Amino acid sequence: MTDRIRRVARRCATGVRRVLRRLAVGVRRVLRVARWESARASGGVDRRTLAAGIALLLVAGGVVGVGVATGVAGLDVDRDVYRVGVDPGSPYAEAIDEEASLRPVSPETASIGDSADAVVVTVIRPGSGDDGTIDGADVEEVVVRATDTQKGEAAAASVREAVESHNERLMRAEPNQTAAFPVTVTLRYVGRTTGFDDGATLGGGGSDDGTGGESDSGSDATDGKIDSRGSETGDASSGGNSTSRTDDTETGDGPSGGGSADGGPDGSDSGVDGSDTSIGDTDSGDADADSSDDGGFAVPSIGGGTFGADTVGSPGSITPPFPFTSLLLAFAFLVPMNFLIQAYGSSILDERTNRRGEPLLVTPLSPAEIVAGKTLPYAAAAAVVTSLIALAVGGGALSVVAVAPIAAAFLGATFVGAMFARSFKELTFVTVGVSVLLTTYAFVPAIFTNVTPVALVSPLTLVVFDLQGEAVSAGEALFSTAPMAVGAALLFGLGLGVYREEDMFSQKPVTRKFLDALAVRLFAMPAGAGAVGGGVLDRDRLRALGSVALLTACTIPFVFVAELLAVAVLFALPVTVSIPVLLVTIAFVEEVAKSVGLYAGFERGVFARTDGVGDGDGVGDGDGRLRVALAVGLASGTGFFLAEKVTAVVQAVGLTDLFLGRAAFGDVTGLSGLPPLALAALFFAPLVLHVATTSVASVGASRGRTAYAVALTLATLGHAAYNAGVVSLG
Amino acid sequence: MIEVSGLRKTYGDFAAVVDSDFSVDDGEVFGIVGPNGAGKTTTLKILAGLVEPTDGEVTVAGFDASDPEMRRHLGFLPEESPLYEEMTALSYLRFFADLYDVPREVADERIEAALDRLELDHRERRLGDVSKGMKRKVAIARSLVNDPDVLVYDEPASGLDPVTTNSVLAFTRELRETGKTVVFSAHNLYHVESVCDRVVVMNEGRIVARGSVDGIRERHGETTYRVFTDAEPTATPALADLDATTEEVGDRFRMAVPSMDAVAAVREAVADAGGEVVDIRSREPSLEDVFLDIVGRPMPGRYTGDLGGDSGKSANDEDAGESGGTKAASTTEATE
Repeated sequence: MTDRIRRVARRCATGVRRVLRRLAVGVRRVLRVARWESARASGGVDRRTLAAGIALLLVAGGVVGVGVATGVAGLDVDRDVYRVGVDPGSPYAEAIDEEASLRPVSPETASIGDSADAVVVTVIRPGSGDDGTIDGADVEEVVVRATDTQKGEAAAASVREAVESHNERLMRAEPNQTAAFPVTVTLRYVGRTTGFDDGATLGGGGSDDGTGGESDSGSDATDGKIDSRGSETGDASSGGNSTSRTDDTETGDGPSGGGSADGGPDGSDSGVDGSDTSIGDTDSGDADADSSDDGGFAVPSIGGGTFGADTVGSPGSITPPFPFTSLLLAFAFLVPMNFLIQAYGSSILDERTNRRGEPLLVTPLSPAEIVAGKTLPYAAAAAVVTSLIALAVGGGALSVVAVAPIAAAFLGATFVGAMFARSFKELTFVTVGVSVLLTTYAFVPAIFTNVTPVALVSPLTLVVFDLQGEAVSAGEALFSTAPMAVGAALLFGLGLGVYREEDMFSQKPVTRKFLDALAVRLFAMPAGAGAVGGGVLDRDRLRALGSVALLTACTIPFVFVAELLAVAVLFALPVTVSIPVLLVTIAFVEEVAKSVGLYAGFERGVFARTDGVGDGDGVGDGDGRLRVALAVGLASGTGFFLAEKVTAVVQAVGLTDLFLGRAAFGDVTGLSGLPPLALAALFFAPLVLHVATTSVASVGASRGRTAYAVALTLATLGHAAYNAGVVSLG
Repeated sequence: MIEVSGLRKTYGDFAAVVDSDFSVDDGEVFGIVGPNGAGKTTTLKILAGLVEPTDGEVTVAGFDASDPEMRRHLGFLPEESPLYEEMTALSYLRFFADLYDVPREVADERIEAALDRLELDHRERRLGDVSKGMKRKVAIARSLVNDPDVLVYDEPASGLDPVTTNSVLAFTRELRETGKTVVFSAHNLYHVESVCDRVVVMNEGRIVARGSVDGIRERHGETTYRVFTDAEPTATPALADLDATTEEVGDRFRMAVPSMDAVAAVREAVADAGGEVVDIRSREPSLEDVFLDIVGRPMPGRYTGDLGGDSGKSANDEDAGESGGTKAASTTEATE
């Protein structure tokens, strides 16, 4: 017994050693290719060009440095743009003096339109100021008068912003921050309405959590929950992002207790030194503040608590507090990717041009090792550049981690494109397409960072959070990054399928190469195979069916991304339009994902399309083909169903709180009151759907392109009808 | 060293190689001959593990052709071999030696030896700046960096000038002397004939003839005799009735006949016509003639006329065959 254990242990140790040795060999090979790829890539740039590039960088850096230096020296162009007449004794004098773009001038000499662009007129209460000093209590009204020109309006706006900033600074300086930024929560319960009601938005069927509970729009249920981060955000961004609403009745000890400091970004009603004065023409902030009360400043609490996305909305129903600065800085992470994929795509296509990479295929290296080695320098460059940008813009490790899957997706998509492209001309289209698509996918959702959980579709949203100094939960980070990361890995897998002599150096059309790339992942179905009455499933048949299921399962990230993209694109439309389009789109995407691999298998002869697959049991050979089609359809549908369950992660981040999210990713979670049998039936209903529709498409695929197109259409319509049923149930 | 059995490769409905069987012994130079589309290159790529066969078994150096380990024992020279033009010859060869885990000192030694033998200069010049012949030599050197047992050369001298061609062919012959097994394909049949011990002739994916060059020649070609005379072929009815191919060459006439009996008949007819037989020469069939006989069509793009008239040897000249080959080669190069 002991000997046996020893033998087993010895075998295990030997196996582990062998695996480690192979791993080490693989890593060594990858590094070798990477080293030579780097040498090659750098060899393409001669020393003079390199020197010129460095010189340009130095010049650019010098210019920036000089700019910074001159800014310190007070030569910046924004200084003293507007002349504002203000009494030195006015409470506003300090605010105006602090603003670099404003130059205070004496009100006695100030003449609007001549020596001043705007004048702050302080109306003193009668009898005040007799002691020679004027404080806030003495001021009855403050009016900013400006010329009726663009510059005058801009000057007045600058005065207003200067006062707001000044107030903000004063608030921040208060030792009692709770008093400075008080929060009032008002609970108000309203009845549930359906998402299809007129006026409902895709953003959440009227779910307006976090809007202070004062919204009267069609809401499902307002629980009045105030997210803690929402309040903190408000603090961090001058109250503009806060869902809170100040209440002057509770701020007795605060210096800004006067007025109705609504906390909105434009809520300029806040007083100065405790006064409740308003600034003449500049009080338009009231309107914004009011809109905040009406739910305008819907700030989501994405990332708050455990997957606590409780604020939703859509551009149609809210005035989003766009994090412009963070977004712009986040965009900086995407810019280098576009250059990187040009170099990377060229390198890959260069291997294919004139069969240049053929000798590499004859070396002991596997295609995966070659591709890994060729990709590594570009991935490393992306990591270095991303880290440098993160350092420059104030991002942290989260930014780098979030950008990594974007970079991987850029490289993966470019790799596939370069493997499919037949010329550098086609590669240009590929790289531009990759740039536009991925930049759009990453950037557009991030615009809604503070608006809706849909924003988490993009990893760039994590960067925006990071730049805003907000924490992100592990679930959110996973939700944001995993689809792109897995998608990138699968893209590399897809491209590796055609990283072989037969495809690399041929001029096959992209569609044929795509089918090749899919078919190469399938195992042939033995003659006479078929799970439906096809006899015992032997190892070969199981392997063939397993490969089908796995291939289909691997499409899930792309399906997921496509569906998220569809949600993001249709997000702003009325539900009466977007829901039907979305249901059909999702059905089509899923049906294509489930059946395109099968079509590839039949097209490439992995699954016999001819009548020669009869099992010799006396049944017609056409039956044999049908059996194969049904068997692979069953395997594909099952594989998709199992992989689809992974998308349950959307439950965790609250995406299904969105009405559109439910339509796209809804399941039976809301039906917990049903008996177990009914729940089980509902749980497995998608399996029946996927198997049925995929079998239809598979039978079509087994009969040729036209039949496949017809069958795919039927399957899509059936699937869309099912989706509509689920949505109406939900 | 190489065993091929029941080899079949199809691309959709197109069969590139059909039921191919052959074996190559250690230290042998084995030729694969055939017109375009015959399946030569596909066969070589299957041997190199580049293309997966649809059916059949292929073992090279004791390994299955699809086994990555096999590639350690193989050197492959594809028909086209564009190199990484940003790299120098030396760095390019070191790169490949590195991929084969060849220690740097050993690699440098091999690279130096190969480049010396191939008379390759400008080793530090970028490959984009060197001539086509130089690039070909670098590619040949690349096939040797791992000191392989088996070399698979697809058209090694294709498109090269005669001097470089002779250099490459001579190098290939030397490889045999060092014990390497070489599988060699070429459009130019002279190249195959001058280098290979055995050949297979492929046509439309199938092997249609196999054996030693001499054996195939014996089976599929015939020696022709050429009688040079000053008598006009139409001078007498007897001359005109002879079963001979007649051609005017300068101020003489050349009559080609298939046997010595026919030669005797020509001599008799010429004498009757009052003429004189100036010379009699024999001509062994070239591989091209054999190819023409087997395939039923000439090699595409090849010179199919008389390869210089004769071998330059008389009926009794034992050694003239070699010079005839040289002459034919010169003609071949001129027509490429």
